[in-house]
Amino acid sequence: MSALDRTVAPAPGPPRTFRAPPVTRTRLDNGLEVYVARHGDLPVAAASFVVRMGVADEAPGRAGLARALAELLESGTRRRDADELAWALEFAGIQLDVSAGWDSIVVGTTVPSARFDEAAELLAEVVREPSFPDGEVRRVCERQVASLLQRRKDPRSLAADMSARFTFAPEVPYGRPAAGTTGTVRAIERDDVTDFYRAAFSPTHAALVVVGDVDPEAAVETARRHFGDWSAPAGGAREFRVRPRVDRTTVFVVDRPGSVQSELRISDVGIARSDPDYLAIRVMNTVLGGAFTSRLNMNLRERHGFTYGARSGFSARRRPGPFSIGAAVGTEVTAAALREAMQEVRTLRDEGPTASEVDSARDYIAGILPLQLQTVEQLASRLAGVFIYGLPEDYIATYQARVRAVPVEEAARVARERLRPDRFAITVVCDASSVAGELEALRLGPVQIVSAEEEAPAEASS
Amino acid sequence: MVEIPFERVRLDNGLDLILSPERSAPVVAINLWYRVGSRNEQPGRTGFAHLFEHMMFQGSQNVPESKHFAEIEKAGGSLNGSTWLDRTNYFETLPASRLELGLWLESDRMGWLLPAMTQEKLDNQRDVVKNERRWRVDNQPYGDWDERIQEMMYPSDHPYHHSVIGSMEDLDAASLEDVEAFFRTFYAPNNAVLTVCGDFDADHALKLVSRYFGDIPAGPRVPAIPGRTEVPRTLGLEIRERAAQDISLPRVYVAYRIPAYGDPAHYPAAVAAHVLAYGRASLLYRNLVRDRQIAQDVVAYAFPIVVGASMLVTWATARPGGAIEELEAALVEETTALLDVEERDVERAVRLMETAELSMLQQPGERADQLSMFASLFDDPGRINTELDRIRAVRAEDVRAFAEEFLVAANRAVLTYVPAEEAS
Repeated sequence: MSALDRTVAPAPGPPRTFRAPPVTRTRLDNGLEVYVARHGDLPVAAASFVVRMGVADEAPGRAGLARALAELLESGTRRRDADELAWALEFAGIQLDVSAGWDSIVVGTTVPSARFDEAAELLAEVVREPSFPDGEVRRVCERQVASLLQRRKDPRSLAADMSARFTFAPEVPYGRPAAGTTGTVRAIERDDVTDFYRAAFSPTHAALVVVGDVDPEAAVETARRHFGDWSAPAGGAREFRVRPRVDRTTVFVVDRPGSVQSELRISDVGIARSDPDYLAIRVMNTVLGGAFTSRLNMNLRERHGFTYGARSGFSARRRPGPFSIGAAVGTEVTAAALREAMQEVRTLRDEGPTASEVDSARDYIAGILPLQLQTVEQLASRLAGVFIYGLPEDYIATYQARVRAVPVEEAARVARERLRPDRFAITVVCDASSVAGELEALRLGPVQIVSAEEEAPAEASS
Repeated sequence: MVEIPFERVRLDNGLDLILSPERSAPVVAINLWYRVGSRNEQPGRTGFAHLFEHMMFQGSQNVPESKHFAEIEKAGGSLNGSTWLDRTNYFETLPASRLELGLWLESDRMGWLLPAMTQEKLDNQRDVVKNERRWRVDNQPYGDWDERIQEMMYPSDHPYHHSVIGSMEDLDAASLEDVEAFFRTFYAPNNAVLTVCGDFDADHALKLVSRYFGDIPAGPRVPAIPGRTEVPRTLGLEIRERAAQDISLPRVYVAYRIPAYGDPAHYPAAVAAHVLAYGRASLLYRNLVRDRQIAQDVVAYAFPIVVGASMLVTWATARPGGAIEELEAALVEETTALLDVEERDVERAVRLMETAELSMLQQPGERADQLSMFASLFDDPGRINTELDRIRAVRAEDVRAFAEEFLVAANRAVLTYVPAEEAS
């Protein structure tokens, strides 16, 4: 080797190409899609059962139902009560992870591959034969109400819930807290749970994703054995349109007296997962706030020390989800931080990103893919996304190339078109008496002060 | 279950190097443990080890400010660092072709950090860290629980008496001279473990590491951990504290002094924590959350810390309207039920721990961190492959004996949070 020159960053070594693991997709006779990928070097496997209905498909007066249903799937089956089910799973080293997102409910597990068949059998029992005992429905809903009370005292949860509410018009599901409100959760009855379960859980609208140390043919056989004789009609997903709550930038100050920091959220209606500009927007957002070295973080954290971190992101859902900038900033610098963040948005919108920024952003998003697919559960989660949003089968395999093909001009165009600083819903969870006056002085738009204790009137949003 | 292969080499300057190739995916993980944490801080400088960690990302002689993050992100990598009681670690996962980039960055700040330090950078990161403290602790419900529990559990001259994040006053007091002295004392190859895991050739990696780290001089002998590190096996009394906060649900923490991590007597405690609160068939979940419905959530955790003694911390959050005294009594009662724990409860816990371990080891970054940890704490990276055997060897009778000695009134600290309006 030649003498070491420390003053320059070393060049890359010979490239080692990332190859997305091959995925087989099989449709069982009852309609269930089975995705299988062999992945990783350890004797471990992930299985995820995915349905294409979620929080957004709840009836408005029953907000929180999808979360309750997810929790209740572990409350017993026709064969076992809750405690027996927990023992059957955990004595075999199996834990389920059940989650309800806006567009899906996922029942997943990661197990030693020697236990894959056992896990698949129990997964099928949980998915196909939940019993929803009355007592458990009450218990789970009461616990969910208690967690809503906790969210009001937690500044980050409060900021998330309030920001959603101020971003979307009252009738849009995305404006409701995903876990519902105390009123809607208290109103949930066992019949609501069983009705929602019947609408959501059907093999014709579901997938089983299996990833890891598995033989693809054997995995499909296992799926057929445990799910093949299941038939159930599906209900329809809820149709709705998305529109924003405000038509000019408005600052909502959520008073949390005694706060020593202000939770800042700058939001707008963003994009759907099917948006043709999805990748260009990801590139543009990486320049703005999607990574550590993005403009927002370099300004608010590394230049000014206003915050531990500033980020932005587009949450792409079946319908347009929120775009949001978030940072927790010191109380005394709240207005200054908001001014800087708004300035970064305006500058990016007006001047676009530089070619070098776009280059770095593309390299980052494309290059990080193999790191995001290191574990069996990471790949299973990506494949679940492919199913939920109906993405092309080669989506993961072609992802890096498509990211690298985003032109600088496209990143500039979406910055111009999709960043709308004149119609943001700005939420600031803070000690209002210390902060509101300075926020007024920024003259960003009307400033409204809201109580932290005040819940969204969810009943009105039907 | 699985065997993680590795080789260990010590460079002439004392750098402890561990190489663990695994070539199924084209990524490589670099992980450094420096044997310095909040335990090494001097009085009046709490939080400094962590503030110093932030300074390590501010550039070094050949790496301009902000380039550390920028180079790795552009390469398609991820990175971070963290500070804990016993150590500070730095890590990045990169595409396999960029191993050399990571070694360049890590070696430059290990060898040549100080020329890049400025008052402006220190002031900036001090503000960032103070905001981190507000974010984690001061503006967060129950956010100061670990600070309070550490103060209750360890005498004032013990290195675990104070928290990692430190106090605002001490952060304000930190100076550039402190940065320089800390660097010269603790940041040297002979006080570090460097682990590389993932897709690389071991011979090539050894050459690269020697090239980048070989000419960094060894530092002086690292001073002993300050203060009194030995403590009695148990507290000898019950300590109680009550805090009023702006919270909606009361919560009670009950902590017990237990043997330090690495002590054979620690493993029954680690298993006990999982018997108590890991999973829905755990003792506390099924009794307090599901059956009696007096707890919103339950947690039990045995800290893997090594100086003098560790702690088992349990907590439960009350349901709305529930009396915190009743919840405390129930939490203690169910914890004490470990005196009669059955073999099946222990087996359940151990099987879940096996699955969790297997799942964790999937990522080269996690493997690297474990190898660094075992080398750093116990001078034995091979424990990555034998640690589960220690867990599996725990029997119900061991947990019972542990409970009998340690889960007693005269060995616990009880911290209760109540809503501010109820307290007044």
